[in-house]
Amino acid sequence: MSAPVLNISNLSVNYSTDRGTLHALRDVDLHIQAGRIVGIVGESGCGKSTLISTIIRLLSANACVEEGEVLFQGEDLLALDAKAMRKLRGNELAMVFQDPMTSLNPVLSIGRQMLDIQYRDDGSKAEKKSRSLHMLERVGIPDAATQLDRYPHHLSGGMRQRVAIAMALMTEPSLLIADEPTTALDATLEIQIIQRLRQLQRDVGCAVLFISHHLGVISELCDEVVVMYAGEVVESGGTRQVFDAPKHPYTRGLLECDPASIQASDNILPVIPGQLPDLTDPPPGCIFQPRCDRSVAQCSSQRPRLDGQGHRAACFVATS
Amino acid sequence: MKEVLAVRDMQVRYPTSGGLAALMAGKRATSIDVVCGVSFAVAPGDTLAIVGESGSGKTTLAMGLSGLVPVSGGDVVLDGNAVAMNSKGFLQPDRRRISVMLQDPVGSLSPRMTVQRLLAEPFRIDPELADDPDAAALRLLDRVGLSREFAGRYPHQLSGGQARRVGLARALAQKPGLLIADEPTAGLDVSIQGEMLNLLAEVQRDMGLGIIMITHNLNIVRHAATDMAIMYLGRFIEQGLPQRIFERPRHPYTAALLAANPSVNPATAIDRIQLLGEVPSLFERPRGCEFHTRCPRAQDVCLERFPQRQGVANTQVWNCVNPVD
Repeated sequence: MSAPVLNISNLSVNYSTDRGTLHALRDVDLHIQAGRIVGIVGESGCGKSTLISTIIRLLSANACVEEGEVLFQGEDLLALDAKAMRKLRGNELAMVFQDPMTSLNPVLSIGRQMLDIQYRDDGSKAEKKSRSLHMLERVGIPDAATQLDRYPHHLSGGMRQRVAIAMALMTEPSLLIADEPTTALDATLEIQIIQRLRQLQRDVGCAVLFISHHLGVISELCDEVVVMYAGEVVESGGTRQVFDAPKHPYTRGLLECDPASIQASDNILPVIPGQLPDLTDPPPGCIFQPRCDRSVAQCSSQRPRLDGQGHRAACFVATS
Repeated sequence: MKEVLAVRDMQVRYPTSGGLAALMAGKRATSIDVVCGVSFAVAPGDTLAIVGESGSGKTTLAMGLSGLVPVSGGDVVLDGNAVAMNSKGFLQPDRRRISVMLQDPVGSLSPRMTVQRLLAEPFRIDPELADDPDAAALRLLDRVGLSREFAGRYPHQLSGGQARRVGLARALAQKPGLLIADEPTAGLDVSIQGEMLNLLAEVQRDMGLGIIMITHNLNIVRHAATDMAIMYLGRFIEQGLPQRIFERPRHPYTAALLAANPSVNPATAIDRIQLLGEVPSLFERPRGCEFHTRCPRAQDVCLERFPQRQGVANTQVWNCVNPVD
């Protein structure tokens, strides 16, 4: 097996808030092999955004990495200085954000922005321009030559997101992080973007960390999936393994709640009862125990670990 | 059953200046058609889901109905009475009968008011509704399943799901006959989505509400709606009973929309109808059938005129000359 591009182990991140220390991430383990697409699925407040910010080192000032390491191609990102980090960002480590309107500069033309992102490369302006053009064509932008002179507000949401993807892949990164890139898009465009991304990933050969709360999107795009709940990884494994035979009660609950998977057309939908635990004072045992319908005595005193290889779940009563 | 609301051939047109250059050249003001001739009816206890992509005119339709944007044509009948239009084209429905749950749950609540004040406001404005506004506000809180400790909170202290519940409570204050819910589950996590829809169904049953639900999430339509309409560039291109449409969509756009629904079940990804391109701009509305630019089944005639409506009224109707089998 090839060496992992990204290797996160034992990562814990805290935020200091008025109400005390908020444990946003606890003992997170995550590995991405070269050329794989790994999806993180989880609901609001599960720590997805904190995890990405830790990887690209854009955590807010009140955050503190308690312990753990983030190895990117064998190098600990948490130990790098700002200058070395800046060298990696956008080059080896690219990112597509959720909202393409705010990630593109509204006062610069698309062509200008695509030129700027190649500032590290040698080569004439004409060469860079033709590379931009080529990249826009690869992401499926019609009439790419005209688009280079246009501004972000001229483009529709789907086109903007494709421009953002083109810019992220321009430098042929080793890892692309995509933070809910299709949430702002409509269903027919969402599918277009996902299929395009899948194809580009094969061409460029990069690894992708794809964040979404849409189970269907993760299922169609990703090779592996990591399920997060309240700052912890509760289950991980191959996408089909996890979705076809979920082990953790939370994953099972999520899949049961997904209206897409419910065929009966009565209008009472299943829900996961209860609410997210207060992360300034997380429960001593399993993080999901207060909402779990299968918990046993052990669950409220001891924390289950995510052990082993392959398809695994942090649960004492995991169904296998 | 007598319907709460009946709409015939409603149209909304927005004027556009065409930019400064056009103005200086002395061009006449132009306009774009955002909603072009939609007809539907909602009976008490029924939920009509209006589905469509961004820019298809769903929200404009809702705003037109509630008198927030002027409409340029059509008949609207509320509780059996024709709704009058003022000189500027705004519909003047009895606002106590039509309530709106707006799309942005936190943004639609005043940040300076506590939940208690937000909920008591309708009762202060219309004292006929309740003797004691504060007690009535607390009853609303119970009604939407929020505990009384929320009464003292401000909107920014609420989660998306909780803010939605407050929005629903406000919409219910005047005991409306029709509730327009604009994207009631957008941005909610799957586990909370179900709670919101279950609550809507419960309130509907208890109060005999008619609901117009605007959404682009097809998954919830199957569970929550008794009727559905698919909107594309301001028109209903297919309309009918959800079970019929889900089982056998006839308009190619509906079929593509249903197939584009990413699912955890890998079997659904097979046979997906691919749509080309993107939704055309309203400024450059295609001739003939507006969908022909993206349609895999388009014929020459589609470029010439908008297709006639076909099918069985109240069951399933569509506007397409070459429907999917």
